[in-house]
Amino acid sequence: MKKLYHYLSPLLILALMLGSLPVVAAPAPAGGMITTQEALAAERSQSDRERIHAVLARDDVREQLVAQGVDPAEVEARVAALSDAEAAQMAERLDQMPAGASVVGALFAVFVILLVTDILGLTNVYPFTR
Amino acid sequence: MIDCLSGQPTSNRNARPAGVLALVLLLLLLAGCATTPRLDDATRSAIAPRVLIDDMPFHGQRDYQCGPASLTMVLQHDGVATDVDTLIPQVFTPGREGSVQPEMLATVRRNGRIPFVIEGRFETLLSELDAGHPVVVMQNLSLPAWPLWHYAVAIGYDLQEETLILHSGMEAGRKESFKRFDATWARSDRWAFVALPPGELPATIGAEAALQAIGDFEGVQGSEAALPAWEALAARYPHNAMAHFGLGNARHAAGDLEGAISAFGNAAAANESLAPAWLNLGLALEAAGRRAEALEALTRAAALPGRWQSHSREALERLSE
Repeated sequence: MKKLYHYLSPLLILALMLGSLPVVAAPAPAGGMITTQEALAAERSQSDRERIHAVLARDDVREQLVAQGVDPAEVEARVAALSDAEAAQMAERLDQMPAGASVVGALFAVFVILLVTDILGLTNVYPFTR
Repeated sequence: MIDCLSGQPTSNRNARPAGVLALVLLLLLLAGCATTPRLDDATRSAIAPRVLIDDMPFHGQRDYQCGPASLTMVLQHDGVATDVDTLIPQVFTPGREGSVQPEMLATVRRNGRIPFVIEGRFETLLSELDAGHPVVVMQNLSLPAWPLWHYAVAIGYDLQEETLILHSGMEAGRKESFKRFDATWARSDRWAFVALPPGELPATIGAEAALQAIGDFEGVQGSEAALPAWEALAARYPHNAMAHFGLGNARHAAGDLEGAISAFGNAAAANESLAPAWLNLGLALEAAGRRAEALEALTRAAALPGRWQSHSREALERLSE
């Protein structure tokens, strides 16, 4: 077993290093034009570190969406359509974000309070109050 | 056991009136916070007194699916061939039993339209409706403690009646008083967006917000799809260097080298310290075979300190050899 690790660990280290290379090498395309996205990111004084963070955030969002029951076949296209800032936001707090659903999940005591606030025109939970 | 009870005399006799009083005070406090939004005079005189976008398709929501339903309505209004069943797997998150804001915007991008988050003010909302743009709004129909998040599409208003007209939930063309709407909209920090085809801009958008929205769209759909949007932005904000810069890159990607050179030139003229503009101008001139002008532009780029300086110097050295 120990012998197996002996061979495996250098391979693993190599694979991890190679895997992380394209991310680090992404900014500064040699000799090429600066893209609008790079220039905008630089204008907002976004550091390389934040940009690498954004790449990692996408992996995180991918996992979270699958965990939230999204069809794995759809996840890739959904993550690709997010901007860097949106991906970072979702990676951080997908489970607490407001999710538009319009279904009440509240208790009966709350029903009475909401009924009164509805009548006062502060909320809009029950259509029959209008 | 008995000891515990004997220590408590009948002290809760007066609790009910006190509770009622507290509740009334709380409601008065809440009512005091919500007032009918007042429009500033400039907006009131600039927009039509009544607006209704009448060619607006309606799709009633099924359980939890106000997000996909709202998106279907605005996308179909924009001429995208799609329906609720196509959009549900694109935006709905089963685990959250709803759709989150970033994914609402991302789905618009996926369908070839640009989502512009507009400034959260009542004036902005009405101005967009006046310009004929339906607005997707996020509301919390309930109180902050028991949120009831909801997406709806604003399609018109009536200043005289002080009502907003929305396609919302199962109800087409529902009228909501400005006061009630604003109270529920304020709880989402007045979040709202319009979805427009590339080339059209919101009536109220600022240069920075538009740059961000178009840049994000370009990142997903590519430069050629974004080209009309950059053209429109550079025309709307002729003094904004980044708008011209984005236009230059999009034209370059579309194979229009001379157009790209003129746009990069405008960008560098609008902001002489924008190093990427000089750099891309130089590289485009080099590609067009105009070596002397390319050298001049790259020299300007290489003289500017910042993150692109070494990159510019390399390009300059390569051309000077």
